[in-house]
Amino acid sequence: MFKFNNINLDIWTETYGIGFYLSYLSRWPDLCCVQEAPNGRMMGYVIGKAEGSNTEWHGHVTAITVAPEYRRLSLARKMMTLLEMVSDETYKGFFVDLYVRCANTVAINMYEGLGYSVYRRVREYYGNLGIGKGGRDEEDAFDMRKPLSRDPHQRSIRMNGRDMLVRAQDVS
Amino acid sequence: MSTALDRQIRPIYDALDTGSNKSAIVACNKLLKKHPKNELIKALKALALVRSQKVEESLILCDEVLDLKPTNDAVLTAMMHVLRGLGRHKDMVTMFEEAYKQQPSNEELGAQTFFANVRAAQWKSAQQIATRMHKQFQEDRYLYWSVMSAVLQANDVSTPIAMRMLLYKLAHRLLTSSPTPSYLNADRFHLHIFILRELELFDEARKLLDSDVGKTICATNLSCDELRRDIWQRCGMIKEEGERAQMRIVEDQNRNWLEFLSVLNATFCYLDPSQNDSSSTLSEGAKVHCAEHITRTQELFTRLALEDGSKDRSSMLGLLELEGRARKYGLSTSPARLVTLMEHYFEEIGDKACCFEDLKPYLDLEGNECLKWTSFLEATPASFNSPNELRRLINSHKLLRHGLSQSELTVEAESARALLYTKYFMDGLQLGVALPSSELQPADDFALLAGNAWVSLWNSTSDESYLHKAVALLEFALTRSPQSFQARMILIRIYRLLGAPSMALEHYRIMQIKQIQHDTLSHLILSRASTFSLAATGDLTLATECLESTQIYLSNSQETGDFIVRAFTSEKYSQIPEFIEFEDRLDNSLQRDIVKMEHLRMRLAHEPITSDIIDMELIELKFIFDRSHHDNRDFDIITNYQPQGSSSINDQTHLFGKAEGRGWLGAFLKLYIRAFQHGSDLDDTVEEKLLIGDRPKQSADLEKKPLRERLLQRQDEEIAELTADEVPLVDYATALANWLEPYHDYTRPPPSVVLAEAARQTELKTGHPLKGVDLQSLNGIANGNGRKDEDPPVVTEPPELVLKYFEQLKSRLLELRNNPSPVRALHLATLAQEALLLFTVETLRFRSSSVVKINKLGGLVTSFKSIRADAIVVLQEMSTELIKMADVSSTMDSRNMFTDSCNSLTTLGIDQDFLVGVAKKVTEARKKVLEGVGKGLTRVTSL
Repeated sequence: MFKFNNINLDIWTETYGIGFYLSYLSRWPDLCCVQEAPNGRMMGYVIGKAEGSNTEWHGHVTAITVAPEYRRLSLARKMMTLLEMVSDETYKGFFVDLYVRCANTVAINMYEGLGYSVYRRVREYYGNLGIGKGGRDEEDAFDMRKPLSRDPHQRSIRMNGRDMLVRAQDVS
Repeated sequence: MSTALDRQIRPIYDALDTGSNKSAIVACNKLLKKHPKNELIKALKALALVRSQKVEESLILCDEVLDLKPTNDAVLTAMMHVLRGLGRHKDMVTMFEEAYKQQPSNEELGAQTFFANVRAAQWKSAQQIATRMHKQFQEDRYLYWSVMSAVLQANDVSTPIAMRMLLYKLAHRLLTSSPTPSYLNADRFHLHIFILRELELFDEARKLLDSDVGKTICATNLSCDELRRDIWQRCGMIKEEGERAQMRIVEDQNRNWLEFLSVLNATFCYLDPSQNDSSSTLSEGAKVHCAEHITRTQELFTRLALEDGSKDRSSMLGLLELEGRARKYGLSTSPARLVTLMEHYFEEIGDKACCFEDLKPYLDLEGNECLKWTSFLEATPASFNSPNELRRLINSHKLLRHGLSQSELTVEAESARALLYTKYFMDGLQLGVALPSSELQPADDFALLAGNAWVSLWNSTSDESYLHKAVALLEFALTRSPQSFQARMILIRIYRLLGAPSMALEHYRIMQIKQIQHDTLSHLILSRASTFSLAATGDLTLATECLESTQIYLSNSQETGDFIVRAFTSEKYSQIPEFIEFEDRLDNSLQRDIVKMEHLRMRLAHEPITSDIIDMELIELKFIFDRSHHDNRDFDIITNYQPQGSSSINDQTHLFGKAEGRGWLGAFLKLYIRAFQHGSDLDDTVEEKLLIGDRPKQSADLEKKPLRERLLQRQDEEIAELTADEVPLVDYATALANWLEPYHDYTRPPPSVVLAEAARQTELKTGHPLKGVDLQSLNGIANGNGRKDEDPPVVTEPPELVLKYFEQLKSRLLELRNNPSPVRALHLATLAQEALLLFTVETLRFRSSSVVKINKLGGLVTSFKSIRADAIVVLQEMSTELIKMADVSSTMDSRNMFTDSCNSLTTLGIDQDFLVGVAKKVTEARKKVLEGVGKGLTRVTSL
C-alpha cells in the first residue's frame, strides 16, 4: 500500500480504506497478488475472494488494475490466470466471475478472449458516474463467468447472458 | 437479564450505533435511576461518554465497572470499546484475564483474552494463554496460535537478540508436538517452514518441501514458494534452484521474473565466494564453469526471446541482465553485445511505455558504445502516425536525455530541447483527439520531458522565467489530459517554488488523495507548509489539510489490530507479521510527525498560547521524540527524466532546496519540547499520574540516555536538513532556553502542588476525586508551604544571540526583497513570527506579577519587555514589506512578465489568452499569500 501510488492515482482505480485491503488479505491472501517490475516498481495487482454456496461456490475478481506505464504487456491476463489456477486448485470453485462496466468494451473483449462469457446484466451496479454519454451502458455491469475444472458440463454459464437482466440489490 | 430491561437497553445500542451519544447518555441516566448497580448500563454510558470526548467522567464509570470484574459477554464487549477508546489496551487484557479466571471453561473468554493480548502486542502472555487453551480444549489451532505468538515475540523490538533463538526453538518444539501435520493447511505449513528457516534447520525444511504435499502447496501458493526459494538458496542449492526454475520457464511457460532471476543466480553461482570455500580468489576453473553456463543460459534465453517476440519481455530482459552481470565479472565474450541487445529490446518493446524504465539499469555506457547507442536512438523517426510510433519516439527521447553529459546541458542546448519536446507534444496531441477526458494522452510524456528540462534550467540559472514556461505548458497539457497526475505533481512543486501555494493546493485536491495516500503523498503539499499558512489571520485551510491527512493514523490504530485478530481466527499466519509491520510503519510514520510539527506551528499562530495547550502538546511531543520513525513518503512517484549525472527532479524542486526528514524533525522537536517544558508545570512524576492510556513500547537494545541529555545534543544530520534561515532560529531558541531554564526550574511549583490543583479541577468538573491522588495529604503543601529554601538565581543579561536575532532578520529581509520569488521572504517572515511565539511560550510563566515579585525576577521581566518591543517593531516592518510586495506582485507588469517568458510557447500553438489566464492565477495566488502572511504578522504582534 505504501508503493501503489503509480497504480492508484488512476481514476478507474479506487483507493479504499485500510480495512478493505486487510480484510481480503486476512481471508484470501492467495487470491491477492502484486506484480513488480525488475526494478521493484509495482506494475499491477489483483484482489480476489472465494464465495457462494453449493454449486455457486466460486472465485471472484474484486479488483484488477495495471499502472499506465505497464499497460499493453498482458499483465492482467497473467494475473487472471493465476487467480483462476488458485480458485480451481486451492478453493475447488466451480467458476470464476467478475463485474465489468457494460461500456468497457476493451475489457470485455479481453475477458472473452480469456474464456469468460456474460452470465447476466446487472442494472445500475456502478452508481457513481450517473447516466453519462454512454447511457445505460455506463452504469450497468455485466457479470462474466468462466467455468473451472469442477464444472465440466459448463453449467455455470449460459449463451443468452446479455439478455438476463437483474437488479443490483439482487446480487451479492 | 429480564426481557423488559433488555427492551429498554436496546435503544441505547441504537443511539450508540447512529452516533447520537448525547441521547445514549440521557437514556443511560434514566435507566440507572431504576437500576443503579447495572454493569451493562454503566459500561454503555462510559462508552457514550468516551465517544463524546468526556474522558474524565468516562474514566470513573470505567474503573467502577472494572472493579466489579465483569464476566457478562455484553458488558465485556462494551468495555472493550471503552478501553480501546481510552487507549488502555493493557487494562483490557486484565479485564479479560479476570473474567477467564472466573470461568475457565469458557472457550470464548479464553479466545477474547488471547485477542486482548494480541491487540496490546503482549506476545508472551498471548503465547501462554494459547498453550493453556490448547491443553484444555484440544484444538490444533490454539497450538498454532501459541506457535505464532512465540514467533512474534521473537520478532518484537523489545525482545533482546539473545532471546530470539530460544523463542524460535520453543515455537519449533510446540510445532513438533502437534498431533496433525502442518501441511494440512498452507498457512500452517508456511509458519512451519519459516521457523525451520530461522533455526537454519535446512534438512528438515527440505524434507517437508520435497514431499509431494509440500510440492503441491508451493505450486499454488506464492508465499510458500518464495520461502522455499530462499531456503534453497541459503543451503547452497542455487544450481538446483536454477534448474527447477528453468523447467518452469520452459515447460510451464512460466514468465515470473523471479524464475529468471533464479536461472541467472545459478549461472553465476561459481563466482560467489561463499560457494567456493577453498580460497578467497577465484580459481580459473570456476571462471571456466561460469563461462560455459553463461553460454548455455544465453542460448536458452535467446531461444525463448525468439518464441515470445514482443508478447513477453522477460526473456529479453533476462538476456540483458545476463550480459550486464557477465560484464561485471569480466566474462562478456563480445563487447558489442550489450548495445546490440539494447537495440533489439528497443525494436521489440520500444512502443511500450515501460521500455525506458526497463533499460535504465544498463544505460551506463562509455565511449564508442555510447556513441553507437545514441546514434541508434537519434535515428528514430519523428513521425506521429500511430500511438505506437509516438511512444517509440518518446522512449528514444527519454533514453537520449538520460544519457546526456554535463557538457551537453548548456542553457542553449537545454532550451532547444525543451522547445523540441514541446513541439513534439503539440504534434502528438492529434493522436489523442478522440480520446475521452478520462484517458491519458499518449503525448503526455513529452510535456513532462519539457517540464523536466525547464526545471533543470531554472535550477542551474535561478531564472524564474523557466518555471513560468513549465507552468504554462503543463497547465495546457492538463486541459487535454486532466488525469495526468505526473503533470500535476510537477506543477504542485513548481507552484510552491513560485510562492503560489493556493494553486498547488488546487491541483493537490484534484488528485483526490485519500486513505493511505495521505501518508505517502501529503508531503507534496504539507512539507514546510507553515511557510504558507495563514492561520494567524484565521484562515485554517492548511491546518485543516494537516488534520485531514492524519485521519489515516487514527483508522490504523482502530482497525489494523482487528485484522490481526481476524488473521488469527482465519489462520492466515503468513499475513500476521506483515499486518504488524504495516501497523507499526503507519503508527511510527515520519510523515505523521512532520505534519504534526507543521500543524503545531500553525496552531500556535492561531490560538492563544495557554498552559493547557503547552501541557498537552508537551506530552505528545515527548512521545514522538522517543519513536523510531519509518519514512513512508513516496518520492519515486514523481517520474524523473533528468540526465543520469544530474540531481533528480524531486531533489531539484524541494522547497528551499532542502528536504526535511528525521534530522529536521529532531531539531524542531527538541526546540519545542524544551520551550514547552519551561512553560509547563508538569514534570515526569506529575505526568505519570495524570496520563490516561498506555505508553508507547520501547525498543530493547537502545540504551537511551536521559531525556534532558538527549534534548541538549545537536546532531550534524539535524543541521544538514535545516535551511539557512532555520539554523539561526534554532540557535536563537536554544540560547533563549538556556538563558531562562534556571528561572523556570526555580519558580515551577512542586509536583505535589500541581497534582493537588489538577485533582481540584477534576473534582470541580466531575464531582469525583482524581484517582490515585490523595488530596488530604497534599492539602498542607498546596496551601503554600512548599516554598524553597535556596535563593532565586541571579538575574542575568539576555544572551547576544537572542538580542540580535530580530535585528538580523531585518537585514536579511532587505537582502531577499529583490528575489523574484517571494518564498524566501515568506519563509523568513514566518520564522520571525515563530520566534516571537516561542518567546511568548518561554516567558508566559513570568506574566504573573506575583511569581515575579516572590522570586525577585523584576530585572528579567524588564529585559523581556525590551526584547519583545524590538521584536514587534521588526515584525511590523516585515509585515509592511510583505504587503508592499503583495501589491506589486499582481499588477499588469507582473502578469506581462509571466506571459513574456512564455512567448516561445505561443508560436508553438498555445493560445495567448490561455497564458494570460494562467499568469493571472499565479500572480493572484502570490498576492494572496503575501498579503495574508503580512497581515498575520501584525496580528501576532498584538497578542
